[in-house]
Amino acid sequence: MRPLTEEETKIVFSKLATYLSDLKGLIAPLDDGDRYVFRLNHARVYYVRLSVANMATSVSRDALLSLGTCLGKLTKTGKFRLHITALPVLAEHARYKIWVKENGAQPFLYGSNVVKAHVGRQTEDCPEHSGCVVYSMADIPLGFGVTARSTAEARRLDPTGIVCFRQADCGEYLRDEDTLFAG
Amino acid sequence: MAPTKTIKNKHAANGSGVSGSMKAKYGSKSAMDGVIKAKKTGGKSHLPTTTGKGRPKIADILKKKKKRVYTAKELGIPELNMITPVGVEKPKGKKKGKVFVDDRESMSTILAIVQAEKEGQIESKMIKARQMEEIREARKAEEEKKYQERKEKLEETKDSIRKKRRRGAPKENDGDADPSAPLATGTNVLKLKKKRVSFA
Repeated sequence: MRPLTEEETKIVFSKLATYLSDLKGLIAPLDDGDRYVFRLNHARVYYVRLSVANMATSVSRDALLSLGTCLGKLTKTGKFRLHITALPVLAEHARYKIWVKENGAQPFLYGSNVVKAHVGRQTEDCPEHSGCVVYSMADIPLGFGVTARSTAEARRLDPTGIVCFRQADCGEYLRDEDTLFAG
Repeated sequence: MAPTKTIKNKHAANGSGVSGSMKAKYGSKSAMDGVIKAKKTGGKSHLPTTTGKGRPKIADILKKKKKRVYTAKELGIPELNMITPVGVEKPKGKKKGKVFVDDRESMSTILAIVQAEKEGQIESKMIKARQMEEIREARKAEEEKKYQERKEKLEETKDSIRKKRRRGAPKENDGDADPSAPLATGTNVLKLKKKRVSFA
């Protein structure tokens, strides 16, 4: 386990910035004087309290399976891939949001894209190909994706037209159970 | 004494660079026998002196022939055309290993840079989207206008055709209004009654 280098930090932040409106809240000091830091272990980036990270130094690298919140994985090509485990962090400060109706929640959780017929609400002025978090109508975050059309275009779309391309959904906790935390 | 002199000659033969002075010496000691012999030898040594003058020249030539070794910078070879690629060669004098970013200040500076970049990208995307939307609206309005014009033209032509029909209507109407005419005229009604056929 080690802190991120400058290059790695830039990559991680730029990916998070596509989904979040305010990044400063991520590293802001907490009330108890503690703060959150980013740690890398087995190519996975963890978002963890500094006190917990310091305690985790007593565990050897191989023995350390996970700590804090796993945000995603740094690929060998130098990119950062967000995991569904990062959803609580993204949902808190999401820039663009899409709310899906009751009939659209299940198809989304089974891994399909969000279609126009399932969209209940959507953030105004959302450009195409920008990161958005998908919620149920009861404001429960279900996953996140990338918008296929801007809000204006999506209004004119036919009911079967795709509004948001899925990136991750909560169904992955079951579907990718074996590979989500290791491998 | 003689051996010492011969030694001197040997020095001369070697071409120590003071041959001129040696010659002067030989000239002064020409009366001595041993020395004369030595002179003969010195005469012999004259040839070597001439050859001695040539020898260093050859050596110099040989030395000059030695190829000069050029450095990569002098040749001006492109940097990529090297055994070790540019990226792989590590700069000297720099600390080995990775530089971690863990303090809040440096992290917040990186964050600010990244966020500014992203904001700019999103802003440009929004502006582009708005411009595209405006263009689409304009096109739509133009299309509607054209459609309206075409419709009006069609209506006009329709009206003109109708008017033409009305102008020519009275002549045509006599034949058309045959069934209604009998109701108006009593003579025709009678005629119709006469034409009726009843079967028993």
